Formats: sequence, structure tokens, C-alpha cells
Amino acid sequence: MQLAEAERTVANELAREHSLPSPGARAQEREIRGLSAGEWVTVQGKVVALTNPPTPAIAQAGILADPSGAIRFTVWTRARAQPLSAGRWYRIESAVVDEFRGVEKLNIHSGTTISGVESEAPLIPAVIPVRDLRPGVGSVRVKVVQEWEPSHERMLQTGLLGDETGTVKFTIWREEGKEKLVPGSVYSIYYALVDEFNGRLQMNLSTAICIPEEGDIRVSEGEAARGVIVHLAPGSGLIKRCPVEGCNRVLSRQNYCPVHEIQKDFRYDLRIKGVLDDGIRTRNILVQKEIVEALSGMKLEEAVALAESSPLGMDEVFYRIRDAVLGRYFQVRGSEIDGRILVKECQKIAFDPGDLAALLNRAGGEAR
Amino acid sequence: MNERRAAGPRPGQTFEREPARRIFAGELREVNFEFPKGEDEKSPSFVLLPTGARCNRVLLVGTLTEKDRRGDQNVFYRARISDPTGTFFLMAGSYQPEAMQQMARIEPPAFAAVIGKPNLFESQTGSMLVSVRAESVTSVDRETRDLWVLDAARATLQRLDELGTTEDSRQAQDHYHTDPSVYRKMVYDALAQLKI
Repeated sequence: MQLAEAERTVANELAREHSLPSPGARAQEREIRGLSAGEWVTVQGKVVALTNPPTPAIAQAGILADPSGAIRFTVWTRARAQPLSAGRWYRIESAVVDEFRGVEKLNIHSGTTISGVESEAPLIPAVIPVRDLRPGVGSVRVKVVQEWEPSHERMLQTGLLGDETGTVKFTIWREEGKEKLVPGSVYSIYYALVDEFNGRLQMNLSTAICIPEEGDIRVSEGEAARGVIVHLAPGSGLIKRCPVEGCNRVLSRQNYCPVHEIQKDFRYDLRIKGVLDDGIRTRNILVQKEIVEALSGMKLEEAVALAESSPLGMDEVFYRIRDAVLGRYFQVRGSEIDGRILVKECQKIAFDPGDLAALLNRAGGEAR
Repeated sequence: MNERRAAGPRPGQTFEREPARRIFAGELREVNFEFPKGEDEKSPSFVLLPTGARCNRVLLVGTLTEKDRRGDQNVFYRARISDPTGTFFLMAGSYQPEAMQQMARIEPPAFAAVIGKPNLFESQTGSMLVSVRAESVTSVDRETRDLWVLDAARATLQRLDELGTTEDSRQAQDHYHTDPSVYRKMVYDALAQLKI
């Protein structure tokens, strides 16, 4: 803790013990939106969520909201504050804003005064585009785009949410009263915790209020690119994946997983790691099984049978797929991660006589 | 060995693959200028196209009309490929094992998509000739060939529009005395061979 803050904490503690007005009472009265780390503030807001405190040093944690926005808060055990109830409004005098893992947080410490207030002010959270989410608290209107296999037994549901501007991973943890979202449906999600993990945002819906909505959303499918597949990298074709739960890494030819070492067992999969080239720029693409099957006209089971019967083994599958896609024109769509497009849609480009007519005009315009 | 490793891409540096230029055989056969190589032996080599772009890799789709297997000790394949504007030779040797193996399987005549590096060499008469060192040769359908003609036409016209606006294209004008109308006609004639 910084020296200045330590001084204030001690001064507040002494003031409280001797029933003197708190020196921190000079804190400014503020709206929740725009609070930044290092400020001493007084705010008035509604406790819209309470979460399980991660350590005994924290008495309560949750989200405080006012009409301008929402912020995470922590009530330290040492503050010996009266317990806050979800759904009630409070005036919180001289709390400290700090930052933890890039997220602003309101600290309720021993110098903070809390008083319940009566308010019937309707609280309508400001819904923002997925693209504009940042770590902290976020409210969005989204469609449940994908549902994934939970990677942990405490996880109730995980998957992908999206709106017109982008997509974001979500997780709901197993807790009483928590229900799964219905894939393909649209929800307004108020006051979800947004965290950054490995440079990607994700939403934890444990605190959130999820309200089913009518209608549909055209979810952004990410980057689109056109070009010719000019290269198929090693690791394309039929591959073996590590069978350890939650691992899924690609095994080497000797069935070696970089984490779980030699595996007796494995799962087969099909994929393309390739390069799409439009003549100006090259893009790395990663194509999943279903699309590889459609492009090559070969199902996974057929590929496995071919590899097991051919003298060339898995190479034979690589050659078949290569001969089906290399040098061909495709239009792909998908999200770009680490300089590689994860292809969700892939279509062969068809010859368009309109293009020919336009190019004939362009070439002939000056020459004749 | 250590020196070589030091010369490779450093961590955090992203390697960007050189795009394959769309170029008609009629333009490719005119290429006779190669940029001086960089100091690093692994730095890519570039040729200058008459329409003004620097080029390290090409994509051509045409008809493979002849195929020879040559050499005793060092076997390599040589193929002749025509597009609507001309013909070029394609080489695949033991340094291009993938292309060699594809070449062994392909039977002329066939539409073929060629990805490779332009390679300049001096003929016995002292003039510079160009061939393509294949990275891959894939048998494709007519529609892919037609799409490529559109693509190569578009790219060539684009380069002609930018002629004189970049350093490389000014160098091309100086070196090749490029006449844009000749290349426009080449593009027009290539397009005119496609059925609407």
C-alpha cells in the first residue's frame, strides 16, 4: 500500500475509535462512471450483485451501480462494516478506488461510512456493443452463438456470445438458481463481470441478470478474405489429438503430447493449416473438420480408413486434401486470432461473367 | 550453425510470407532484371516485373502440354505450360520434393495451377531467360483457370494503373521501357478468349 493511503487508513481508524468525523469525509461526491484508480470518493448506488468473497480477508464483494454505470466493490473484513444486501441502495462515503488486474474496484475500508438510502430510482443499465467491452462490469444485448463442452465440473455452461460488432466468450458457474442460456436465443445481459485472460476478454455471467429477448441478431462473423490457397502446412490433413480431458493437443507421429507425453490412445481429427493469398497479402488460415470434409468430399471415417489401408498412411490423406484445395479460389470468413483466421465459413468462388465484362471494359477502355 | 540461427527470425518478429503475384506468361517471359540479393543468404530474391512490381513468387494457371523427366544423378522434371498469352517452362528438382511428386502424377494435357519462384538464367546465346521453380503444381478444373485469367487480368491492369507512381515501377519503366498499351492489349486478348 502507498504511504499516503496507509496514513489515511490509520487516521480514519483513530477517528472512528474516538468517534471523531472521518478525515476522509473530504472525499468528492461522484458518479460511478469515470471513477479511476487512486481517487477517494463518495458514491450512491444500488448493490446489483453479490459474489462469493475469494478470501476471508474480504467480507463481501459484488457490483455497485448507479444510473451512470457500475463498478466492482470489495468490503474488507477489517472494515467491520454492516453487511450490504443485494437490491438495496446505499450511500458510501470515502471509499478508495484502486485497480486490480486492470479492473477498477471500489474498496470499502475501515474509514468508509455506509448508510442505507431509500430510492425508487429506476436503474436501466447502459447496454454497449461487444466490441466496446473492457475489463470491469459490462451490459450487452447478445445472441448465444455457440455452446462449448465445459472444461471444469464447476462450470454450468460456457460458449460464445455475439452481437453485430463482435463475439466474446462467456462462462456461468454452478450456483444455486443459475440456469443455462438457450443456444441461438437473444438475451439482455446486465452487470456481467468482464475479465481479460491471455489478452482476450471473457464474461462471467454469475453476477449477471439475463433477460430473454425477442428477435434475432446478425452476429459478426469476423474477418472475410478471398484468395487462393497457395500452401498447406505440415500438420494439415488427418491428425491425432491427445485424449486427456481438456487437452486436445495434436500428437506427433510417435503419439507424443507436448504436455502429457506418450499416449497409447488418441482421437482422429481433420484440419487444414494453410495460407490464403490474394496476390497482395497472405493470410494464415485454420480450417476445422466439418469444412475440410465438405471441401475434400471425404468424411473423417473415410480418411481414417484410407490412412489405415494406404501404404502412405496419413500422408495419403494429406495428398488427397491438398489436391482438392491447393491452387483454388476461396472466400473465407472467421475470427482472426494471433494472425490466423479461424475459418467458420469457406466457399469456393464461382466464375462471374459480370466480372469478365467489367474487366474487358477496363482493359479495352484506352487501347481501342 | 549458431550464426545461421542468429540470422533467422527473432522471437516476436512475425514472418510474413511473400504473396504470389498474378502474372501472365506473356509478361513473365519478358522478365530479365533481378534485384541484388541482400547480405543474408536467406533473404528472398526478387525480380522486377515489366508492369512495375517486385516479385518473389508467382501464381499461374494454364495448360500443361508437355512433361519431361531429365537428368541421371539429379533427376528433375521440366514442363511446358501455356496460358492465353504465351508459354513458360516449369522446373521441379530434388529441392522441391512436393512439386516433383505432384509432377510425377500429373498427365498432360491438364489445367494446372503453378505456385513457384521466378528463376533467371543466362542462355547459351547470352540472353536472360526466365523459368519457374515449382513449389507446387496441382491439377485444377476449367473454372479455376477462368478465375485465374480474371485475377491475373485485374492484377496486371492494377499494376499498369500504378505505373510511374512507385519507385519500383519507375525503375521498371527505365529498365523495360514498358508500353502500357501493349500489356492492355495482352490482357484484353486473354479475356476475350473466355466465353461469356
